[in-house]
Amino acid sequence: MPASRFETEVRLEAGIAVVLMRGDIDREAESGLAAAYLAAGDASVILLDFTAVGYINSTGIALIVRFLADGRRDRREIRACALSPHYTEIFELTRLSDYMHIFDDAASATAVATSEMTGGRS
Amino acid sequence: MTTETGQPGGDPTEAIPTEASPAAPMPAAPAASNWAAPVSRLAVGVVPTDALNLNVAGRRLAGPVQGFGQLWQKTYRVRLTGADVTPAAVIRTWKEHFGDFWPKGNHFYGPLTSLQPGEVALLNLALPGKMTLSTGVLVIFADDESFAFMTPEGHQFASFITFSSYADDGVAVVQIQALLRASDPLYELSMPIVAQRTEDRFWNDTLWALAASFGAADVTVEMERVCVDHRRQWRYAGNIRQNAAIRTALYKLTHPRAWFHHSGDA
Repeated sequence: MPASRFETEVRLEAGIAVVLMRGDIDREAESGLAAAYLAAGDASVILLDFTAVGYINSTGIALIVRFLADGRRDRREIRACALSPHYTEIFELTRLSDYMHIFDDAASATAVATSEMTGGRS
Repeated sequence: MTTETGQPGGDPTEAIPTEASPAAPMPAAPAASNWAAPVSRLAVGVVPTDALNLNVAGRRLAGPVQGFGQLWQKTYRVRLTGADVTPAAVIRTWKEHFGDFWPKGNHFYGPLTSLQPGEVALLNLALPGKMTLSTGVLVIFADDESFAFMTPEGHQFASFITFSSYADDGVAVVQIQALLRASDPLYELSMPIVAQRTEDRFWNDTLWALAASFGAADVTVEMERVCVDHRRQWRYAGNIRQNAAIRTALYKLTHPRAWFHHSGDA
């Protein structure tokens, strides 16, 4: 199966930067993820949306760890959403799930962010 | 970023003999997956009689997010110029004979056939002063072009390490990329003194031996070392309780027969 080109789309929603990722996360995704990190501006929370992600290999997971480390260095929280059951297993295996808030979808993640912005008032 | 090139220290063609053991009985990976299934604790299967088996069974995996020290991304790369080999063939050979390319005195007790996701391998690594570090790795991923390990608690590095090959201008390029933190404060102290250099020398020699086995010409191993995060994670300072070097040394002090296991027998 040919690799699917990696692309990202970054939008601000409820005060967080939502990075919608499309395609395969592998060696070719390095520059795209780095660009998405910069495009997130100074948002203190970045949500990685896996809705349209195809294949992830070990280099891809290393890139996610790298993204997480960049966030830690800059005191930004990295969250994730829309992990398939298989990717949920990969996050458990690699213990990324110990470290990241994971949401079912972008809507629930932004709802939580909105709640945090308003101090829990709904 | 620093970029360095290096030459091997010893004779890299003098590869250690294969000392494989059956794979540990880990849960099988999901069907059609190149990834290992999640594991809460590592299990070790049959252990060769000459292997020192410490610091693996019952340990959890520890990736870079669970380590103590600064986060480093280290990349080692070699071009197999003049070698008529595809990236897939390189990876196939490497998976089948992984330990054969290691520097003398270091032992990889992996599966008899080929590395597969979910398998645990024991490592007996030579440390300065004829010391041994007994630890292991879990094969977390393997496909036709790459494979990857993750380390258990107590290993010198809390890390992911990916071994891959790709074609560049018709030449197979082999790459090792590690994302690692020293696991605890003691290991972190040794990083600028000895650990970084030892690690670099180890993978430099490994790639040199691998390239030589394919008949590559003008072998030069390129290295890049990037400090991704300068901060230390003090919440993981307690990892020192599981320091595999300390535990291996204590074990050997209290079990004299263990000196007959591999102990940096270069």
